[in-house]
Amino acid sequence: MTPQARTSGLVVRELADEVVVYDLLRHQAHCLNRTAATVFRNADGRRSVSDLAALLDPAGPAGASEAVVSLALERLAEAHLLEGEAATAPASALSRREVMRRVGLGAAVLLPVVASVLAPTPAEAAATCVSSCASKPDGTPCHCFGENPCTATCVANACSAGGC
Amino acid sequence: MGSLPSVMPRLRRGSARLGRLDRLAWAAGTCFAAYGHRVGVRVSEPRLLECLGPHLPPGWTPSSSPVVDDLFSLWVDPDGKRAPRLSRVYAGRRRRARTASLDQALEVLESEIRQSVAAAAPRRTFVHAGVVGWRGRAILIPGRSRSGKTTLTAELVRAGATYYSDEFAVLDSRGRVHPFAKPLSLREEGRCDAHARKRRAEELGGVAGSEPLPVGLVALAAFRPGAAWRPERLSAGRAVLEMLAHTVPARLRPAASLDALGRAVARADVLMGERGEAREMVRALLEQVETAERVPRPRTGERGMR
Repeated sequence: MTPQARTSGLVVRELADEVVVYDLLRHQAHCLNRTAATVFRNADGRRSVSDLAALLDPAGPAGASEAVVSLALERLAEAHLLEGEAATAPASALSRREVMRRVGLGAAVLLPVVASVLAPTPAEAAATCVSSCASKPDGTPCHCFGENPCTATCVANACSAGGC
Repeated sequence: MGSLPSVMPRLRRGSARLGRLDRLAWAAGTCFAAYGHRVGVRVSEPRLLECLGPHLPPGWTPSSSPVVDDLFSLWVDPDGKRAPRLSRVYAGRRRRARTASLDQALEVLESEIRQSVAAAAPRRTFVHAGVVGWRGRAILIPGRSRSGKTTLTAELVRAGATYYSDEFAVLDSRGRVHPFAKPLSLREEGRCDAHARKRRAEELGGVAGSEPLPVGLVALAAFRPGAAWRPERLSAGRAVLEMLAHTVPARLRPAASLDALGRAVARADVLMGERGEAREMVRALLEQVETAERVPRPRTGERGMR
């Protein structure tokens, strides 16, 4: 397999040795650590998993590095950052624990990490009044009666005027 | 700032029509700009214009042009002495409040205008955060409403920090923070917006900042009663990600938002953790900035953004 990273519909910014990727389709942002970023940058549809492993750790044992690349590809696929076959490839079945066993505990820092957040809408970011408290944190301002002024707060996923 | 001009505002050509709302009898209007965003307000009674001043965003300037980016409307029953109809606030064509209280209507109008400016201001990235200045650097406290931002900001001001905002960190393209020094909205414990008291920084013994500052410290602090502040230091990428979750135009202008956030955290410490009472936290935050000033060392994103 020659994995291919997505290039369209993304805003990509490099920060020190990390990469921050904003997905314009899903409005999700991802932070790729050094390992995940190296795989993402170099997965160009021509390099194989072995090639990517050699880029990660030229001096390391091939099997260990390939396991790390496979885990990175799995994380990138979960974040919808791969295209083609790699984007839908079945999970490698390699657990993080299994990869750590192969690369050694001391190299755990090399494991790929992709942290993600859903970008807020302007209203969510400003934490303005919501009309539905479903999945909103306690304390989010809400209006109990639809359009009335914001005089209540979300408590246990329901709008409660108890605090006012 | 200045006095509000009497100008009946209209939306730019090509903007969505407001339909039935445009056919109501609007008696007066005014136009102003804030952070480069042009806003118009029309009212059903001329006397209402006199009430607007204290409800406009910090740094607004009067505008003589009637063409605006966003239009707000405040309708109050003109002859409702016996059985008055409820006052209404509209943002564009959407009704945002219907209330018997003019004060509440004005509060909603104020909040709606602030949000429109925060979302649409060109060349500025608004992050929902409390901000103070200390030793020439900004301390940012991002968080949602009711996360204790204002309480912590007020305590920092009482401790001598310069007040910048209790609501928005306004970042420019270089990552510097500009003031958005509206009066602090201090809620009584356990109560809501309707019971918030507005206090100017001077009433807390402080002073409001006027110059942009580089960011020295970002504290992503979640309040938990009794918690001790033992924060984790975030990498530049994680810092940008965490701050993006509080960035108003994140979806509207993601590239500009990432650039501003990346530059803001490039020379800052970004710490995340649980905190206890605001008073206990203040000393830790101020000392963090002072220590960083005395002992220069690589910060969150020292190598910067490429």
